[in-house]
Amino acid sequence: MPDSRPPRTPHVSVSDRTTEGNRTGSWKYLHPEYHDRVAPCRERCPVGVDIEGYLSLLRAGRIDDACDLLLRENPIPAVTGRVCDHRCEGGCNRAQLDGAVAIHAIERALGDRVLDGPLPPPAERRHAESVAIVGSGPAGLACAYHLVRLGYGVTVFERDERPGGMLRQGIPAYRLPRPVLDREIERIEALGVVFHCNAEVGRAPSWPALVGAFDAVFVGIGAQRGRRLGVPGEALPGVRQGLEFLRAVNEGGHPDLGDDHRVLVVGGGNTAMDCARTALRLGGRGTTVTVVYRRTREEMPAIADEVADAEREGVRFCFLAAPEEIVATHGHLVVACGRMELGQKDASGRRRPIPSGEEPLLLEADTVLLAIGEEVSLDGLPLTPRTEGGIHANAWGATAETTDGRVGVAVFGGGDVTGDERTVAHALAAGKRAAIGIDRQFRARQGVMPPLEPEALRIGEQGAPSMTRWRGDDPIRRVAPLNEVVRPRDINLADFARAPRHRDRHAVSRRRSWSHAPDGFAEVNLGLAAEEALAEAARCFECGVCNECALCMLYCADVAISRDPAGRFAIDLDHCKGCGVCAAECPRGAIMMSLEVPS
Amino acid sequence: MKKVIVGNHAVSWAVKLARTEVISAYPITPQTQVVEELSEMCASGALAARFIKVESEHSAMAACVGASAAGARAFTATSSQGLALMHEMLHWAASARHPIVMANVNRALGPGWNIWADQSDSLSQRDTGWIQLYCETNQEVLDSTLMAFRLAELVELPVMIVLDAFYLSHTSEPVDIPDPVLVDRFLPKREPRFRLDVKDPHAFGALVRPDDFLEMRWHLQDAMRRVQPTLERVEDEFAALFGRRYGAVESYRTTDARLILVTSGTITSTAREVVDAAWDRGEAIGLVKVKLFRPFPAAALRDALCGAERVAVLDRNLSPGVGGIFAQELRAALYDMPPEDRPMVYGYVLGLGGRDVTPQTLEDIIDRTDDMGVPDRADLWVGVKA
Repeated sequence: MPDSRPPRTPHVSVSDRTTEGNRTGSWKYLHPEYHDRVAPCRERCPVGVDIEGYLSLLRAGRIDDACDLLLRENPIPAVTGRVCDHRCEGGCNRAQLDGAVAIHAIERALGDRVLDGPLPPPAERRHAESVAIVGSGPAGLACAYHLVRLGYGVTVFERDERPGGMLRQGIPAYRLPRPVLDREIERIEALGVVFHCNAEVGRAPSWPALVGAFDAVFVGIGAQRGRRLGVPGEALPGVRQGLEFLRAVNEGGHPDLGDDHRVLVVGGGNTAMDCARTALRLGGRGTTVTVVYRRTREEMPAIADEVADAEREGVRFCFLAAPEEIVATHGHLVVACGRMELGQKDASGRRRPIPSGEEPLLLEADTVLLAIGEEVSLDGLPLTPRTEGGIHANAWGATAETTDGRVGVAVFGGGDVTGDERTVAHALAAGKRAAIGIDRQFRARQGVMPPLEPEALRIGEQGAPSMTRWRGDDPIRRVAPLNEVVRPRDINLADFARAPRHRDRHAVSRRRSWSHAPDGFAEVNLGLAAEEALAEAARCFECGVCNECALCMLYCADVAISRDPAGRFAIDLDHCKGCGVCAAECPRGAIMMSLEVPS
Repeated sequence: MKKVIVGNHAVSWAVKLARTEVISAYPITPQTQVVEELSEMCASGALAARFIKVESEHSAMAACVGASAAGARAFTATSSQGLALMHEMLHWAASARHPIVMANVNRALGPGWNIWADQSDSLSQRDTGWIQLYCETNQEVLDSTLMAFRLAELVELPVMIVLDAFYLSHTSEPVDIPDPVLVDRFLPKREPRFRLDVKDPHAFGALVRPDDFLEMRWHLQDAMRRVQPTLERVEDEFAALFGRRYGAVESYRTTDARLILVTSGTITSTAREVVDAAWDRGEAIGLVKVKLFRPFPAAALRDALCGAERVAVLDRNLSPGVGGIFAQELRAALYDMPPEDRPMVYGYVLGLGGRDVTPQTLEDIIDRTDDMGVPDRADLWVGVKA
């Protein structure tokens, strides 16, 4: 050992100059890329709202921009925030941690904010073409809204006294206060949509007159006829179609059912829940409302929150019972119900009820409301019905209808009438789909054929068409957009702190008697206060979209990720070894690894 | 300030007083309390350190290496299987010259599964380039941990503080907690010669070819050579501030002793009693405690044992195929003595896996050594049941 003179070699292995000259990036066979992917809520939303986008704007405090983004796809957020079954929440990746983001409540808060603001200015008319909309339910309203915003002339024909269709006739005021609906429609009117009420297309105006006066027609007449039960005694006094009952009540008649009135509601869907809760509000002391359903609670098509609210208000349920006969005796009705049990799954994926062989159940009632579904009635319209009812529409919402002489007038349809799923959200989507189809057809006639196929507008593989994609003017900065949904496995839950979901405020709990309650039809679910809604928005994971959390920079073992003054991240591919730690650590799945392409 | 604390917490207190900046550890019995207390100190803000949770001891040491490379004062603690899992990273820490301090609670390696005191875990790592300091009391644990940071940073080598499972780790003793102001004076902020800096990037630990590797190892050995004098200087500084010193090797009543017991760890305390009792009876029995095991204090031990007729080494460890490791190292050290001064070495293997070593055990060893002529084997086993 040379004790006297130590060697000049350093005591540790350290390079004497920078290592940047060593292009270790050449070792990799994968490289990371930042992408904007599709949050599952967006794909699940039947209306195709950029939910993640507006939640992200809310986090940034840009509330007005968030409202604008929402309004790009959804014409009536204050309505859907109240009555939509919010499937978006069913896909929320936050459910893996501490509960889905309460998107419906945030949407409602934004919708209400929009309603509290000024009416929008009229939309700029950019095209000569004009479109007739038949029916002013959610499908018709959406089609009219999107078309007027695209620059077309739009006239809506509504058979009823006031526009709104099933939103007005079917949904009780305690779920959708009428001032909210009125104001939403007022906003659409302010954009320049002309509403003709008390106008029954087929009579006045006649169908030929309509197609003669417009360049396209959209049919969104819904499904307005209650389905018959098909059992003896259905025509007895006291047996009513639930939809007619709701329509009468919603149009202002609040008959007092009196004390000790017994109401049976047949069915398990949203109409049944609306009938039951409405009947409860009209009854006096001792009034009972019982829902009779042939399957069990699990198979009920009604929105779960509505069932819970009905139960909380005192509605009773009688499951696995199917009415077989109704008889009148001693001044009241007796409904004989066959007892059922659940068999194999049917086409709807629900277990089919089959007779259990037990003794029939005899239920006494003063009123029986039938709410077992609605059928399309094309009365007066010369359209070709499908065997399963309603009319056919393709992926652009176009029907195969001829135009009675006038060349070039196409008939579009959407909503219940074209067999779309029977929710407000699906009707809104169908109206938008047809608006895009109509715009596409008009532009094609001018020789401008947009290259997009319907699939290209779809958000994710399963989602609704996006109006923003159709217009091609996404206001959100998107980095390398990728139409791929972020799955739970793409999320790094370890990076999120628990924060419980905010719960909607409710106005009433169970009460003994509803009669003489002046606020019986006042809104029940009060949503979230504005500040709660903002806090709830902050729970969003921002799935698939970089929010500049900078964890990738922190974890990069090669210090190969940097940030420019504008806040954008850059990957130094000369030194990135493709280890994938950034992609694995990204909390929200916004970094993906791609194979190197050999040069 | 005096506190009655267990040995594990004596480590925690020292790590806190040392203003350690990064702690990364994985729990293992009997070490768990060390990092449990530290994690609470970090959580409460009493200690402004980054506590890095990891999934294994290998990662714990890797995190300490990274932290130390970035210039931080880093600490970890482990035991037994955990230390074995760190093995690769122990070499890295030493060869990259990171002054990391680690507490290792001596525990047997399984199987048979055993959580009790046994030095085989730390002694298995003797060739990794770590300084090893074996402690006898909780006070010595705290003081040695503080001195370990100073020593490590002066010679740029990692230090392992070693304490016996349960006899120290889980036994409460009164411990004087030094004044933090004085500790700050004793232990200034670390000033590394090299540190990771993204603004001035260099490669650390990269390929070194045959034409330079030998020299790097020369430096490592040179640093080891400087450990004992540096430890003396550190102990001087510590004693000046806190009034306590221990020494790399401690001789206890060895003057004129015909037989000297050589011990480490807590067996030393038992041996002190036995030696006192022997002198009371008029028997000249001495004691040499080995605190510093790596680098092995060969010269100090030659001096301490010179003149004794017989030396009984008490090894609570086993190098299978050889016997006790302290005895093995001691024999090698004594070989440099003139044959006429060289004592006879009796290497006893005892107390493995936490087997109790009582005063009677040591009395029996003294008698057995007296009765034996030239030892007939290198490993003399104590207490093996028939």
